[in-house]
Amino acid sequence: MEPVGKITPSSLSPYDLPWRVLWDKEKCTLCGRCTAVCPVKAIELGVHRKRLLSVPLNLTEKPGQVFTVYHGIDQKTDPAYACIGCAMCELVCPNGAIKPIRSRDIDKLRFHINQGGNPRRRGGRRNDARSVLDEIKFIRISMLTDPALDAGRHEFELRTLLGRILPAEELDQYEWIPPVREIYPLIIGGMSFGALSPTMWEGIQMGVAYLNEEKGLPVRVSTGEGGCPPRLLRSRFLKYVILQIASGYFGWDEIIRALPEMKEDPCAIEIKYGQGAKPGDGGLLMWHKVNKLIAAIRGVPQGVSLPSPPTHQTKYSIEESVAKMIQSMSMAWGFRVPVYPKISGTSTALAVLNNLARNSYAAALAIDGEDGGTGAAYNVSLDHMGHPIASNVRDAYLNLVKIGKQNEIPIIAAGGIGKNGNLAANAAALIMLGASAVQVGKYIMQAAGGCLGAENDRCNICNIGLCPKGITSQDPRLYLRLDPEKVAERIVDLFLSFDTELKKIVAPLGRSTSLPIGMSDALGISDKNAAERLSIKYVV
Amino acid sequence: MEFRPTIVIEGVRDGRRLDSRLLEEEIQAAVEKGHRCIEVHAHGQHGIGGRLWRAKGEEVFVRILGSPGQRVGSMGFPNTKIEVMGPSSDDVGWLNAGAEIIVHGHATNGVGNAMAQGKIYIAGDIGARGMTMTKHNPRFAPPELWVLGSVGDFFAEFMAGGIAVICGHGTVRKENVLGYRPCVGMVGGMIYFRGPHGGYSEEDVRLTELTDDDWEWLKKNLKGFLRAINRSDLYGELTKKRKEWRLLIARKPYEKNGQKVRNMARFREEVWEKELGRGGMLGDLINIPRGSIDVIATGEMRRYVPLWENGKFLPPCQVACPSGIPVRQRWALIRSGKWEDAINLALYYTPLPATVCGFLCPNLCLQACTRSVENLPTLDLPALGRASLEAKEPKRASETGKKIAILGGGPAGLSLAWHLWLAGHDPVIYEREQEVGGKIREVIPKSRIPDEVLQHELMRVMEKVRVITLGNKINGRLLQQWKRVYEFIVIAIGAGVGKKIPIPGSERALTAYEFLRLSKKDMITVGKKVVVIGAGNVGCDVACEAFRLGAESVVLVDIQEPASFGEERKKAEKLGARFIWPRVAKAITEEGVELTEGELLPADMVVMAIGDVPDVSFLPPEIKRNGPFIAVDERYRTSDPMIYAIGDSVRLGLITDAVGAGKVVAEDIDRRLRGKEDVVDVIKPVVEKSRIKLAYYDPLTTLSDLDACALQCSSCGLCRDCHMCETICPRGAISRRELDGGDYEYVVNDEKCIGCGFCADACPCGIWQMKENYPLE
Repeated sequence: MEPVGKITPSSLSPYDLPWRVLWDKEKCTLCGRCTAVCPVKAIELGVHRKRLLSVPLNLTEKPGQVFTVYHGIDQKTDPAYACIGCAMCELVCPNGAIKPIRSRDIDKLRFHINQGGNPRRRGGRRNDARSVLDEIKFIRISMLTDPALDAGRHEFELRTLLGRILPAEELDQYEWIPPVREIYPLIIGGMSFGALSPTMWEGIQMGVAYLNEEKGLPVRVSTGEGGCPPRLLRSRFLKYVILQIASGYFGWDEIIRALPEMKEDPCAIEIKYGQGAKPGDGGLLMWHKVNKLIAAIRGVPQGVSLPSPPTHQTKYSIEESVAKMIQSMSMAWGFRVPVYPKISGTSTALAVLNNLARNSYAAALAIDGEDGGTGAAYNVSLDHMGHPIASNVRDAYLNLVKIGKQNEIPIIAAGGIGKNGNLAANAAALIMLGASAVQVGKYIMQAAGGCLGAENDRCNICNIGLCPKGITSQDPRLYLRLDPEKVAERIVDLFLSFDTELKKIVAPLGRSTSLPIGMSDALGISDKNAAERLSIKYVV
Repeated sequence: MEFRPTIVIEGVRDGRRLDSRLLEEEIQAAVEKGHRCIEVHAHGQHGIGGRLWRAKGEEVFVRILGSPGQRVGSMGFPNTKIEVMGPSSDDVGWLNAGAEIIVHGHATNGVGNAMAQGKIYIAGDIGARGMTMTKHNPRFAPPELWVLGSVGDFFAEFMAGGIAVICGHGTVRKENVLGYRPCVGMVGGMIYFRGPHGGYSEEDVRLTELTDDDWEWLKKNLKGFLRAINRSDLYGELTKKRKEWRLLIARKPYEKNGQKVRNMARFREEVWEKELGRGGMLGDLINIPRGSIDVIATGEMRRYVPLWENGKFLPPCQVACPSGIPVRQRWALIRSGKWEDAINLALYYTPLPATVCGFLCPNLCLQACTRSVENLPTLDLPALGRASLEAKEPKRASETGKKIAILGGGPAGLSLAWHLWLAGHDPVIYEREQEVGGKIREVIPKSRIPDEVLQHELMRVMEKVRVITLGNKINGRLLQQWKRVYEFIVIAIGAGVGKKIPIPGSERALTAYEFLRLSKKDMITVGKKVVVIGAGNVGCDVACEAFRLGAESVVLVDIQEPASFGEERKKAEKLGARFIWPRVAKAITEEGVELTEGELLPADMVVMAIGDVPDVSFLPPEIKRNGPFIAVDERYRTSDPMIYAIGDSVRLGLITDAVGAGKVVAEDIDRRLRGKEDVVDVIKPVVEKSRIKLAYYDPLTTLSDLDACALQCSSCGLCRDCHMCETICPRGAISRRELDGGDYEYVVNDEKCIGCGFCADACPCGIWQMKENYPLE
């Protein structure tokens, strides 16, 4: 950084930034790899003048001095170029001469990242590592009370039902059997083509196809809102895909036109009303990310910004939202495809659920909690808006129990599952609280794409198209860093290991033939208030 | 051997079943007593025939009639031979440690579970989970399980050693003799079987044909099995076709890694692209090459590329100079030893380099100099200006004969005349005074500009340009006449009327203009106590002159912080001038200047230095005014397209501003005369100072001469040819290339460059710029 002559209110030193780049002059060979790779140009080569005094012992002569020049790696302090802590510099440094470290102080950047009057926007996560789900323990261990099961030896039916199960009397009444899919309870949540890079997207789809066709695991993946590639729409792999429709309706004309050529029905249709990470906030794909490919898949002209409004424009009441959208989407596939809404976690979720319970065409309700991830949102939305998923799902489930419909309409939970790496434990906890299935997005990016983001505000630049791993970029120079095949392999790895872990959780509970949905007597927590709120056991 | 029991133990006494514990006690007691051939009439008792170690190593035979309970022969000893004369319940031979157990019928679940030695012969089928958790202790022979028929589900789970033989004879399970999901977790041992199967845990075991040794072993030991179950008659049938027999062998740990599953590359090839088409999911829209690219990429995959922008930007010094004198280039010429070129270059831009740059200009170039960012010592630009006194004039363009009238021979008019003359035109200066020079000659004190310098430079123009002394004869009619004679008329009359604040007694004060004109000619007697109202640079000049002419004290009063700066201010202060502000003069009296604050500044001479305005009364009213000044556009054209106005008649400015305006108008006129009015000059942008690296320069340098200055010039935006970029480039991608005419350029090898930006960051002059690479689709 250049020495500061005059200061302004936003003059910051590296110490004031959330991430500080440490550089070791001794180890550095000035190879240029760190500055070449830095996604946000936070570092540069600095030219420094050094002054050396030569002082003769005993001060026998006048001391001399000499100036020399050296070059080194400097960190920029302009808020626009603040280090994001991704550590790509360290990754590519051959000598271990550079690394970012997290400032221990509360950084000062947060007070200055609103230059030009624009509040901070970012991608990623809530930046809060706390997780109630992580604290939930599985306390019901069958050894002699029930036939003990062996996760390695016994066969498990770790499947869930996506779709409406109507009681027999209602079936007679409707003379129609709602479509129901038997799927794997871990669903890859909606990350749009556009939010994700083409390589990441194809890698996920390829991995899902592999899991279905080579491993017999009926894993499903939501498209998110951004359309679906025409070839995929016309392939048999479509049956592994949940098509999402949201307030921007991007890509839907392409989907409609593909209808006559579809070999398979999609798994389901997800109507997105809200996103847990940024409830009440819409999406915006900036014009510079709308390249030829995105334009083709979303069915829009190239180089225009694509807003997804916070709300669907033509819906004014919950009843209308539910009835209109579910009917339209069901009709498109002749009522053969389950259709369900996805909402942000909210204290008003029960109102939605009760509405759905009265509508036999509603196939499920997906609730996305505050810990969900996102490609881009205002800081304030990410950090402060939204409802934790645990109690939201619990309330919803217990409400269904109250009206006797807990086996009729599945609840899909999302938001922060595996945020600290505990994917299976978090998923199992939500299932035992009442979810029929869970959706994950961020975990997929982390595990399958190698996302560097972390809950301490590391990286989190999914919104500006500069993802150093090529996961959320539309720039071939970045996304070609990611080999779809390797992504697919990681998808397979993570699902197989999840499967083993889930078995390790359900086997001791003595469950092998069905998911322990709502089996809350198996749950305990050492937080008395949480135990009371979730109606689970308080254990210490 | 014929079985002759020496004792018969009844499992039912008096119609009541004997407890398993009591039966066990009786059997153990019998052995203790020496019985070696025992017949048991079982009635569901547990664990019959196991643990008979009390026989002291002698063989013990146990024949079981009736219905034995679970775990016949459990923990059996090697001396024990057990024969169940009918079917048997669960866990036959559980934890068998060496007993031979024959079952002349079917056995239910768990046969041989956890057995480690011994043999179990089953004359029928067995139930689920047979041969599970069996071991082979290397100290002993492996355990064996022989089944004449078939086995139930989950056979050989976690089998860790031993041999199982399944003959597949006479079973009801004709479709599958191995049951459902056999061999899960099997890590050791082998399973011979004969007949169809429904799959097995391929992860754990592999299916093979029998080797000759296997076949020989099987044939040999099959005899003993069939003899034990009294079915030697089947030997021929069971050994007739070797092909009917197959073998499952536990995989070694290292074999498990090599599972035969389709890897992702093959899946992509054989399944993914087969269904979606070549190129996969997006193959119809874009081409995504296989694999991935290097994070540190070269060529077109670089995110940023360096551009050598030599001379693309103007240095701040040149931009700051109203005449656009290329200061950077002059220092560069000196650095390369072209002294004369550097000196002569000045006359392309101004006829008065020594007078203005060398003495009178506050050196806007130096104020803008990048070196000031780090407070590095200031280059001696005035010295460069003074050195241009002897500059040789540029070659004049061929004469056009076009006449232009210039009203006023001050700095603006002289500059204009000079440039028009250089361009080949024929300018005529109409001057009110006897001599040209305007304010420089008339009012600027001699202390600030030596006469001989000024004279020399004025002569430079006057030798070439016709000057007509006009006196005060200018008027509208004359202008009309000129319009017929001249192509253009340029008003450069300066601001010759001093302003006064209309306060009581203002008639007692002189204007600065009046004072300086007279003082310059030593034609004024200055008082002892002088007060100057207005403390700008002109006020400072007045103060200096007043001291020169004998004033004892000079006070400069201003209503705000004085705007004076530079040499003028310094000189005045040095001579003892006192600056006071904010003060407002209320009246001028005999005693001096009264201030609104009530103070009286004693004075016997008061000068008002609050600015001058032009006398434009001769201009026809059609020519638009801007207050007391003439209104012009950015090219100094007045509302009459034939008439320009420049210098102080347009707005008060520095001498250098007037000189610069002359140049601008000369260029505009030249363009119009040559019919190139529509040609728009592309004005280069100024270089960003942050691109210049000042760390390369000695902050304590002493700038002893022009050569030293030239070395210290940071050459903003102009390559110094220092080879820094070539040296710093970690990939050796930059090289210097000679061009025709002694020119050169630095070029980048795109296939080596990684876009690290080191060249741009290290370049002292800010030549290299990192640009985003062109967008890829």
